[in-house]
Amino acid sequence: MISREVAWRVFAGEYNSSNLEIKGEGERAPSYIVTPLGAMINRVFLVGVLTDLDNIGTGEEPLWRARLSDPTGTFYVSSGQYQPEATATLSKIEPPAFIAVVGKTRTYSPEEGTVYVSIRPEKVTIVDAGIRDYWVLETCRSTLKRIAAMADAKDMAVPTVDELVKLGHTRVLAEGVVKACEHYKDVDLGRYRAMVVDALRYLLPEYRRDQETEMPREMATNPEELEEEEEAKEVDREEQVLALIAVLDKNGKGAPWDQIVDEVKRLGLDKTALEEVTNSLLDKGMIYEPVLGRMKRI
Amino acid sequence: MEKLELAPHVSEIARVLGNKIDEKDIEKELDTYLNLYRVSLETAKRSVVRKLGGDPNALAMGVRKLIAELSGTEMSVDLLVKVLTVNHKDIEQNGETKKILYGLMADEGGSIAYTAWDAERFQLERGKVYLIRNAYTKEWNSQPQLSLSTRATIEPQPDDSMKLPEGMDVPSYGPTNATMVELKEGMNNVTITGKVISVEGRKLETPNGPKQVFSGIMADASGKVQFSAWHDFGLKSGDAIIIRGAYVRSWRGIPQLNFGERAGVERTKTSFGSDQELSKPKLRSIGELESIGGAVDVLVRGVVVDIKKGSGLIFRCPQCKRLVQKGLCRIHGKVDGQPDLRIKAVVDDGMAALTAVLNKDITEMLVGITLAESLREAKEAMNPEVVEEKIKDRMLGKPIEVRGNVTSDEYGLMMIVTEAELKVPEVRSEAASLLSELEGTQ
Repeated sequence: MISREVAWRVFAGEYNSSNLEIKGEGERAPSYIVTPLGAMINRVFLVGVLTDLDNIGTGEEPLWRARLSDPTGTFYVSSGQYQPEATATLSKIEPPAFIAVVGKTRTYSPEEGTVYVSIRPEKVTIVDAGIRDYWVLETCRSTLKRIAAMADAKDMAVPTVDELVKLGHTRVLAEGVVKACEHYKDVDLGRYRAMVVDALRYLLPEYRRDQETEMPREMATNPEELEEEEEAKEVDREEQVLALIAVLDKNGKGAPWDQIVDEVKRLGLDKTALEEVTNSLLDKGMIYEPVLGRMKRI
Repeated sequence: MEKLELAPHVSEIARVLGNKIDEKDIEKELDTYLNLYRVSLETAKRSVVRKLGGDPNALAMGVRKLIAELSGTEMSVDLLVKVLTVNHKDIEQNGETKKILYGLMADEGGSIAYTAWDAERFQLERGKVYLIRNAYTKEWNSQPQLSLSTRATIEPQPDDSMKLPEGMDVPSYGPTNATMVELKEGMNNVTITGKVISVEGRKLETPNGPKQVFSGIMADASGKVQFSAWHDFGLKSGDAIIIRGAYVRSWRGIPQLNFGERAGVERTKTSFGSDQELSKPKLRSIGELESIGGAVDVLVRGVVVDIKKGSGLIFRCPQCKRLVQKGLCRIHGKVDGQPDLRIKAVVDDGMAALTAVLNKDITEMLVGITLAESLREAKEAMNPEVVEEKIKDRMLGKPIEVRGNVTSDEYGLMMIVTEAELKVPEVRSEAASLLSELEGTQ
């Protein structure tokens, strides 16, 4: 049976740490990138924020470079004349935007021993925040499966595919994990668990705040804790400003700066304080300036 | 080829010739074939053996492989195997009756179906270990199959020279208890309990005269399956039954439960709940469906990662409904094509993928465009592909839930969709439970 290469769900943090490529032998044999957690990837499905987009080619021979960020890092996507469908779609998108990409893995070795990975898109499409969140959750699940397989492999003196399959892992994953163990030696699973935890928190901002308010206020006497309290207040302000920007953005072109300044006075914020808040929001990638003098939510 | 490299081949030829010929002579012959006439090593060895009066088939010239490594294209292969089953069969060949053997063989890594085309020559016994030389493989139903023809030889080996992993060893011929969800292509002697949801009798013309077959749908709590009873057990819809001695074979790409005269069918008091509950489609992963080879009326979740060519506005032949391309039907030539809408979407869940085929009604509902509107838009744009573009915009990258029958063929799994919904599953509650699980372990 000719089965289609499955589209793996993988975070940038895991994908970009890969430097093992398995080249297919013979004509048309697929190549794979093996990640440190043992995903043997030929095709990927990603959803993230398109943050930068440049045509480093020419009008006739375009070569679009795109950065796509997820909660753990940045995917590098490049699309040229041999990806006409994806290139045509990309060229019409204005960053920032939530996009979904189905693509093939690529490697680039500027010198012996270093391998950089990127994505060559097959399909590009604009999506919304809900789909991005669902992708993050799916990718968390998929990453956790690989972490579990890798943890089982680490418990074995010599991990084998059959033993891993016996423990309930799929054969494809077991094969990748055995290869990853040989190549990456001792993989730091703690790092990947922390990555998943961060990504889950990213989906649950209110969960994060709940934890902060649980902290007993009267106990907050040492400077560090006071600082945390300050931070909590700032988060509140950011939320308020963010909500305001959304409300004032009446025509989809962004909220006019003057109106924001007027409105925040009611919240007891002056212009300098407002600038602090908006700068922080800009840094976090939660808003951007589509044109000078207007702010828009991402 | 240097002398040193020739040595193992020389000694092998000497062995085949019963060590009656001086190795020096063999080496000289082999060297001539290889280095003067430059034929392949395989040909050279066979020629030398033949020239010196031996049987070239006794050469271990096939490459020793494991069953798991077989591709279905080996011209000559050597295997060390344990015979799991032996069945006898008579076939007609050139007007003569010939006895052949077929069954299953296994080694440490897997098992394979075999056919030995001469029951006299290959006296295989169940449970015995053999070294097989010069067999060949062919692909059958996308699985490699092993054939032993007149070129092949078998050498019995000590029984303990092969230890098979647990569960793979010679089957004990006991019945297998299964639920509907566990039924897989090729299963035999299955015992299963279920409720008949629907049944219908029809007459078949067979070479042995007309025969009645009773087909329908059976279900248990795990899922549904199509069945065919090749004997009148008086089945009625609503019957709860235990079947003993059933077998599973694919029919039109879907594994189907079969039971004939020799099977035992008993009524049981087991309660299966309402038909409505039983008839609901069950959610299955695409990987699971791939391993069982298809299923009746299931639900699948994934993301649309591709819209295949031939999606959107298409034209069909008014006579045979086949696709009309450039105004031509493959069968009926130039025809006036009838417009239709359909989508062939690749649904991928991160572990496996299937092609979902959506008809006009579902396409209209999902994409929010009617056939009449698509025709108008295509006319305005002077390009029928505008509809395909619209479908891509609407569906690519989106999570989808599809329901239908899943079949498999050499191109993979395909679902004929009866219901489809683009929906983003709720993420928060699952994210929260995953998070608390992870933080609990840290």
